[in-house]
Amino acid sequence: MTLRDRIERGLARLVAASTAERFAISLAALFASILVGTVLILAAGRITGCSTATFVLTHPTPFGLSRLFEVGFCYNPVTVYDRLFLGALGDPLSSGWDPFGRQMALTLRETTVLLFAGLGVAVAFRAGIFNIGAQGQLVVGSLASVLAVLQVAPLVGGVLGTAVSLSVGLAAGALAGGLYAAIPGVLKSYVDANEVITTIMLNFIATGVVGYLVLNHVKDPESFATQTRTIPDHANVPTILFEPTANFSVLALGVGVLLVGGVYYLLAHTAFGYDLRTSGLQPEAAEYGGVNSKRTIVASFGLSGALAGIGGAVYALMILGKFQTGVPSYGFDGITVSILAGNNPLGVGFAAFLFGVLKSGAGVVNFATDVPPQLVDTLRGLIILFVAMPEFFRLLGGRMKGVTRRVNRDESGGETDG
Amino acid sequence: MDRAVHLDGITKRFADVVANDDVTLEVEQGSVHALLGENGAGKTTLMNVLYGLYEPTDGRVVVDGAERTFGSPADAIEAGIGMIHQHFMLVDPMTVTENITLGNEPRKWGGLAVDRRTARQEVRALSDRYGFAVDPEATLTSVSVGVQQRVEILKALYRGADTLILDEPTAVLTPQEVDELFTVFEELTDAGKTIIFITHKLGEAMRAADEITVLRDGEGVATVAASETTRESLAELMVGREVLIETADRPHEPGAETLRVEGISVTDDRGVTAVDDVSFSVREGEIFGIAGVDGNGQSELVEAITGLREPTAGRIDFEGEDVATWSRRDRIDAGMAYVPEDRQERGVVMSFDLVESGILGSHHDEQFTANGRIDWETAREHASEIVETYDVRPPDTDTKSAALSGGNQQKFIVGREFERDPSLFVAAHPTRGVDIGSTEFIHERLLDLRDDGDGVLLVSSKLDEVQLLADRLAVMHDGELMAVVDPDDVTEEELGLVMTGEEPPRRLDSQRVDGGGS
Repeated sequence: MTLRDRIERGLARLVAASTAERFAISLAALFASILVGTVLILAAGRITGCSTATFVLTHPTPFGLSRLFEVGFCYNPVTVYDRLFLGALGDPLSSGWDPFGRQMALTLRETTVLLFAGLGVAVAFRAGIFNIGAQGQLVVGSLASVLAVLQVAPLVGGVLGTAVSLSVGLAAGALAGGLYAAIPGVLKSYVDANEVITTIMLNFIATGVVGYLVLNHVKDPESFATQTRTIPDHANVPTILFEPTANFSVLALGVGVLLVGGVYYLLAHTAFGYDLRTSGLQPEAAEYGGVNSKRTIVASFGLSGALAGIGGAVYALMILGKFQTGVPSYGFDGITVSILAGNNPLGVGFAAFLFGVLKSGAGVVNFATDVPPQLVDTLRGLIILFVAMPEFFRLLGGRMKGVTRRVNRDESGGETDG
Repeated sequence: MDRAVHLDGITKRFADVVANDDVTLEVEQGSVHALLGENGAGKTTLMNVLYGLYEPTDGRVVVDGAERTFGSPADAIEAGIGMIHQHFMLVDPMTVTENITLGNEPRKWGGLAVDRRTARQEVRALSDRYGFAVDPEATLTSVSVGVQQRVEILKALYRGADTLILDEPTAVLTPQEVDELFTVFEELTDAGKTIIFITHKLGEAMRAADEITVLRDGEGVATVAASETTRESLAELMVGREVLIETADRPHEPGAETLRVEGISVTDDRGVTAVDDVSFSVREGEIFGIAGVDGNGQSELVEAITGLREPTAGRIDFEGEDVATWSRRDRIDAGMAYVPEDRQERGVVMSFDLVESGILGSHHDEQFTANGRIDWETAREHASEIVETYDVRPPDTDTKSAALSGGNQQKFIVGREFERDPSLFVAAHPTRGVDIGSTEFIHERLLDLRDDGDGVLLVSSKLDEVQLLADRLAVMHDGELMAVVDPDDVTEEELGLVMTGEEPPRRLDSQRVDGGGS
């Protein structure tokens, strides 16, 4: 068997995996990454110097046997992973667990923004489009929502004002992100421009243009930072259950969960979803079935960008209360979230949560141990890499003719006649 | 005589499907052996086992008296077995010599460079030895399909093959080229080579083979000498029941024109003119057949009519309106059904189940969709109906389209398109790769459609099929319609000549292209 055969066979196995198998693979990947990470932590703990070892590798000495070896390490891998996962959730195993605590809020806050970004990327993927531009769409949506809220909020006050400015803010974010994403959609449909390249470039353009606008036209004159004015207090997303300073609202997470359901319904139960999936899976068959591929591409891009735009709006309105340049890379993380979820809207929820945990847990680890933040980031990266790779190769295999042929052949019992 | 190949009790299992069940095949050295069977009978699987592509689950492979285990085709080639696949594995821009010696080039300068001169001489010598008229220096694109096939055969011989396996070798050939191929078979067997060829065509097996092994449902049914059998008994062995080979010619009354194509020109994907100023019409209650060797513009013509390709010139009148610029969806909605040539690329979405694939093309139709929401229950009933009526196997609507055999995919697509209740039915190679029983069934349905007063445009490279079904028949060659004839007035040989681009005999030319017909 040639190397190519072997690779194709492996990928075919992955492509044909059932949902349960994929879940098991993800779990196994998670443990594998922890194993590798442990080795890294121990190695790093040997290289650095410290006065007292936090972790000692030895063996029990029953019956007064002599101790053969005893190695001390500066960093304790058990503590690191304990803080990374349990710490992020506010210590659910300890007696005084507050599910609405600060750390939990931070975790869910990250989860929420990534949920929108991941959902946006997933929609595009399902339509056979690689939307690398979620970041740009998110940035544009973010600024648009803040500007809209700054306009609308002073007009209406009170609870009604909160409702109005929030709806307007989210709508503005969705609209701006959607329109911005429609650009690569039109370029792909009508002038055959590769969306990977155009969306990457549009990310830079978004950052540049938004930076210019803020600096020159809508800058908060009282601040040295490149940022807009802060939105009025009553326009903030109300924090229910959680303390206000945590900057997290269950409401926003609720919107995200609703959209997960909505996108799932759209894909599985509507004619538009059928158009979109068919285009993504088999463009020739879509064309045969009367699907207008050009319009479907633009619409899918628009929807994808709108979701990312809402993510941007939530980031600006809920977390910052204003727009500031230097938006974290939620859009890029969204790509990984989507791949991690196998581009399934329901899976995006779980994947976004894992990301949220890792992001917030990293802070806890930095606080609780001497492990350098760079090492913590490496550990996070390892986990994401390990968990995402099987899905990534699945995605890749699904697009390789040789692999799909193998999958189909195995399913059809070696039927190749004709 | 010695046995060149002995497959002893081969069983090949894929997951829970048995593709070959205890099949035994004995091929004598220097003979032509046909492996005959319907689609999905397991012919290709069996040969893939012999060629080392599959490892058998059970059974022995004996070549020239020695038991062998092939881990890959390389092992099989080394044992003197060569396989010519249905789709040629050749490199277009290279010359004949380069293709034949690819991977085994004679070397010079200590292996640093290819010795082109020796290569050329060797290929010429090989070609001359078997009487192949092949120019070693021609580029592959400049030679006909028949010659390309001979290049494939030469490639196998160059690698030292003593036993040649050919998978459906006649599928892409004109009748004349088929004759030439069978002459090549004789030359090869005279020189002591052994030939195994896969076919589902009875006539060819009878003509070319010394012995015929019939496979059905993965089992070896019988091995018979070609000289001692009849078409009828072979057909019965293949299908497992008696088969009517001819479909009765039913009287019919064509009505008004439903489709009229006028002066249409279409370019292919590379921008080359594939259809050049073609005009014809299809009437209600009529089957209009277009015959021709594949790749002479039939695909592009059909795609232009059905709305998948924009014509560069001309009109397409459907039910009195020029639809040349209509979208594909509008044409579907207007009552145009279409069985596409490439079922796996277009006809079904491979990773959809049958429920989902069953509404492809009507997923915006109010029959299945209200306010943009698809009613999956109705869709499921629709799919079960198709599966039941058109005998799709396995009869389970939750099966993925990809898991169906080619013939069953085709039955499903044909069924779905019939169920549209169309006024024009465009069928491109509707029975390609479909077994005899299903072919018979599809033919019946096409005739029913005609009898109900619908127009049928039938494109097929199978001459017997178009001759049998069409009321009027056109031959397409190099983008042009050569002649429109009454299929009962011409012989297969005459049509074969026209298919290769010969001027049609004078008496065939007399009818107008858009004219009265039968």
